[in-house]
Amino acid sequence: MGVTCVSQVPVAEGKSVQQTVELLARRLEALGADKQGTFGVDCETYHTAGAIGTQGQTGKLMYVMHNSEYPLSCFALFENGPCLVADANFDTLMVKLKGFFQNAKANKIESRGTRYQYCDFLVKLGTVTMGPSARGISVEVEYCPCVIANDCWNLLMEFMQSFMGSHTPGIPSVFGAKHDSVYSPGDTMVQYMELFNKIRKQQQVPVAGIR
Amino acid sequence: MEAPPVTMMPVTGGTINMMEYLLQGSVLDQSLESLLHRLRGLCDNMEPETFLDHEMVFLLKGQQASPFVLRARRSMDKTGMPWHLRYLGQPEIGDKNRHALVRNCVDIATSDNLTDFLVEMGFRMDHEFVAKGHVFRKGIMKIVVYKIFRILMPGNTESIEPLSLSYLVELNVVAPAGQDVVSDDMRNFAEQLKPLVHLEKIDPKRLM
Repeated sequence: MGVTCVSQVPVAEGKSVQQTVELLARRLEALGADKQGTFGVDCETYHTAGAIGTQGQTGKLMYVMHNSEYPLSCFALFENGPCLVADANFDTLMVKLKGFFQNAKANKIESRGTRYQYCDFLVKLGTVTMGPSARGISVEVEYCPCVIANDCWNLLMEFMQSFMGSHTPGIPSVFGAKHDSVYSPGDTMVQYMELFNKIRKQQQVPVAGIR
Repeated sequence: MEAPPVTMMPVTGGTINMMEYLLQGSVLDQSLESLLHRLRGLCDNMEPETFLDHEMVFLLKGQQASPFVLRARRSMDKTGMPWHLRYLGQPEIGDKNRHALVRNCVDIATSDNLTDFLVEMGFRMDHEFVAKGHVFRKGIMKIVVYKIFRILMPGNTESIEPLSLSYLVELNVVAPAGQDVVSDDMRNFAEQLKPLVHLEKIDPKRLM
């Protein structure tokens, strides 16, 4: 996968989540982007019951994520820890492990929306929902031809400014650790995990959900 | 059992329970060649496939009496293969007529940071070994003839020594739950390998 930046766009003043998404979509379409199906990224949280006593690690959170772009894969990660890429059977394994890892079902969070293609860019505008309520907006922008993060950050930023304006994000923290190593789908999932965690902590969007 | 390529693994959308049917036996080193010769004749026509794998067994100790066991396997001689993570359940206590050992199994192909990830989850490595041998196929049956090597220094797969003067022979099939006819086919195949090797249903618990 090409270098990707995942960020959050705040809901516009006086508008709902859905209206803000439509605003962004219209700007993209005005640029000349084509709709290309839908996408979905979801994240489930598991509590570890605490590792072996000697290390005193209690209550670590493990995230198990899926990305419709990679339908046969499953991503499992710890915050500031390794990101494992596995096949879909990993979900079956988590069911077997339910005595050791509890699924915090109320914490399941996902982002779903439309995919847009504009020349070598792939943009995904998603509505982030937790249960029945819409909690925010995610924007994923991928520059497909390049796999070295630092080589194309400026280009990505310029493209994002053309439709996100002042909401263009700063350089993602995952890029910092990359230096010149190849960008991978795991890096995108880390960005989504950070975004979901941020949204979970935010106040619920005052205008109730999707109208 | 070398790490299968991801494209060969069953794509399970939901949680279909897969079971492993297993028969095991062994042959002394001196009898290896005749066994391989017989297998080449009986099995599917394919390039003779050898493997060199490193397997690590991880345990997760929790409140439960018995720890959770996971097996992480990597190929040492083939580059670019994913790591193979395997969970094996307790053998099913079926009727005595069932010819093979049956246990639940979950096979997962993973990226190569598997051991770091398992440690982060709380697993600790219990033991490791190197397996070197041959793999044959007949339909959905897999026949593996391999030697187990003890690793003399933890983490160093260069210095190994054989565990015994024999080769372990395993006949296994991974199939969805409820397909007991599989064990009949396995028994029929095992008959054809007698008297070179006697493949039997061996319950690991009875050995301990």
